[in-house]
Amino acid sequence: MPKVKLNGKEIEVKPGTMLIDAFKQAGEDIAHYCYHPGLPTAGVCRLCMVEIEGNPRMQIACNTVVTEGMSARNNSDKVKEAVRWGLNFHLINHPLDCPICDQAGECGLQDQYMKFGKYTPEMSEQKVKKRKVVSLGERVVLDSERCILCSRCVRFTSEITKTNELGIFNRGDHAEIGTFEDKPLNNNYSMNTVDICPVGALTSKDFRFRQRVWYLKDASSICTGCSTGCKIRVYYNEEGLFRIKPEHNPEVNGYWMCDKGRDIYKHVNPEARLQEARWGQVGNWQVKDIAEALREAGEAIRASVRDSHHSKVALVLTGQQTLEELTAAVKFFLSDLNSRDIYHWINNPEEMEKFDGLLFRGDRNPNTKGLLSLLASEKVSATWAQLEGKLNSHEIETLMVVGPEDPGVFPDLAAKLKLFAKAKRLVWLSSARVAAVDQVTTATWQIPLKSFFEKDGTLVNAQGRKQTLRKIATLIPAAVSVDQAVAVMSGREKAVPMGKFELNWKKTNFFVGERGSL
Amino acid sequence: MSIVNKPGAISTWYLPGILSGLWLTLKYMIRNLFDKKKMPTLNYPEEVYQYGPRFKGNHILTVKKDGSIRCTACMLCATNCPAQCISIVAAESADQRVEKYPIKYEIDILRCVFCGYCEEACPVDAVRMGPEWQTAGLNGSSFSYDIQHLAYRPQLKGGILSRVDDEERHKFGI
Ligand code: SF4
Ligand code: SF4
Ligand code: SF4
Ligand code: SF4
Ligand code: FES
Repeated sequence: MPKVKLNGKEIEVKPGTMLIDAFKQAGEDIAHYCYHPGLPTAGVCRLCMVEIEGNPRMQIACNTVVTEGMSARNNSDKVKEAVRWGLNFHLINHPLDCPICDQAGECGLQDQYMKFGKYTPEMSEQKVKKRKVVSLGERVVLDSERCILCSRCVRFTSEITKTNELGIFNRGDHAEIGTFEDKPLNNNYSMNTVDICPVGALTSKDFRFRQRVWYLKDASSICTGCSTGCKIRVYYNEEGLFRIKPEHNPEVNGYWMCDKGRDIYKHVNPEARLQEARWGQVGNWQVKDIAEALREAGEAIRASVRDSHHSKVALVLTGQQTLEELTAAVKFFLSDLNSRDIYHWINNPEEMEKFDGLLFRGDRNPNTKGLLSLLASEKVSATWAQLEGKLNSHEIETLMVVGPEDPGVFPDLAAKLKLFAKAKRLVWLSSARVAAVDQVTTATWQIPLKSFFEKDGTLVNAQGRKQTLRKIATLIPAAVSVDQAVAVMSGREKAVPMGKFELNWKKTNFFVGERGSL
Repeated sequence: MSIVNKPGAISTWYLPGILSGLWLTLKYMIRNLFDKKKMPTLNYPEEVYQYGPRFKGNHILTVKKDGSIRCTACMLCATNCPAQCISIVAAESADQRVEKYPIKYEIDILRCVFCGYCEEACPVDAVRMGPEWQTAGLNGSSFSYDIQHLAYRPQLKGGILSRVDDEERHKFGI
């Protein structure tokens, strides 16, 4: 293990480490734009200058491998001067756009100017004007004036997605980012270019102008968009959730996530949610207190078991809930009701095994593995065909369905609901408001569930990794988790425990200097 | 430097305090009866006090030369406002030269403390505090000033021109 001395600090690093990583390991601030730990080195921004002992000229730290006994520093006046001039040159053609730029607040130029710049610009020439508000595809907007040509986005499309949409065209101060012959940038990972762009040159169409970043609070979570389970950061405030970005997890997603996963906040926001418990059927719905609805539904389920000596109830589960919730529901059926009629609703059987080679999987449930292993360990072997048979012959009196959190990934939803309506009574638990459920022709309880944003739990991803989900805030006061619901339904609890009232996400200026640091 | 005379024991007595207060009232009443011109109070609303033109009262949103609103919806004023009474919703503009503009800009004037921080925060001289200070209204909603009121109320006679002009800025290449 080579020992190096950085700004006088002696540390030990792994052989083959780049000097810039060593600086980060030592906890020393170092200016940089083009370096990104998930991308190959380019060495184009010339900002990560360091002075290496025994070397007359300054070198860039992102393209220098450490050697035994190396001694480098970046806090000398010479280096500081070089970085200041580097920044000065980067900003020569940069427009005065910060007020209307979505990146402001988490911008690499703003951050590094405050940290390493603070010069008075000496440029008297006119700025070079370039294209603004260029739509690059369905999700990304380019502003070439703001681009500092760090080439991160280009390297991303050439090395990570290998789709090569982006390139740098022209030369000198006319150089700009673009797509060849204006072909769109529409791959499923395109929004990562927005994240890695250190300035506001690439912005997301979905998020553009919806919030200033300092109005958003953020918290770590797990993406529930597919069974990969990428680690994510959710940005929200009292007005709802606004965007999702990936967080680094070397075991699962590295630095990236897919574009489909970035949409999962949409079905968590209150306008897409089932807001209160309801009872009734098509054309006649009654709003109920959640505890009352749960007691009634539980009573109906237990009555169906009591009155008939063999099982007239069934439970349908999806891989959308946490392991704890699924376990509670399964236990309710196995031990309280003595029924083994538990079925797994597979939403897209043809796509289940698909994998795009990078992150995105065809199985768009975050916890299919967890559900399968749970059913296997409880030796539940009922098949979907059996359920269909029982429903078609009207054998099932009360059917309990723990429905999807994201109805968008259940293409068979309407058809399945027609099937479920053949039961005499339906207990439908779901976090989403599904229009098709309002059309069912059988007596139904609709119970609002919590989304991944609002509960603790465990998800088992496609690799079999158990990942912990943490509650971030409450959006729907009436919503319950499946285990809370089951506790009331089985008669163990009389009421749903009141959630704590939180005010920690009131919209204010949450501005933190760390946000968006490169 | 002001010199404060510490009150003695006599000031804690009840009657001397009350009587000296009544005497003061009586003195001014008699003076006002005989010399109305020196009376400092005004018969508002018949008589209105004229503040200086630089008085910082009700907000104005300035406009550009073409009459459209100057504000770029950067939300710096809303961020800076200590009363949190400015609410802005930004949107993409159809105008190629504009990019971002507010589709909603509302000031809840009853919450405003007239500190002027919004004016100071604005990078483009889009919000100013004008000389008007009379804010009568019939109900709560008349105290929520929207773009129509802030930029185009009749008193402004078609709008106040902003000092920051993008066209000129672009001409100078900045
Ligand atoms: S990229 Fe950064 S410096 Fe440039 S306009 Fe946007 S926020 Fe300002
Ligand atoms: S668009 Fe952004 S990421 Fe791409 S080269 Fe320009 S500054 Fe770098
Ligand atoms: S004057 Fe002060 S309180 Fe009133 S809107 Fe402006 S910043 Fe807010
Ligand atoms: S009034 Fe000024 S500070 Fe406020 S949003 Fe508009 S441009 Fe920004
Ligand atoms: S040259 Fe090293 S970070 Fe850009």
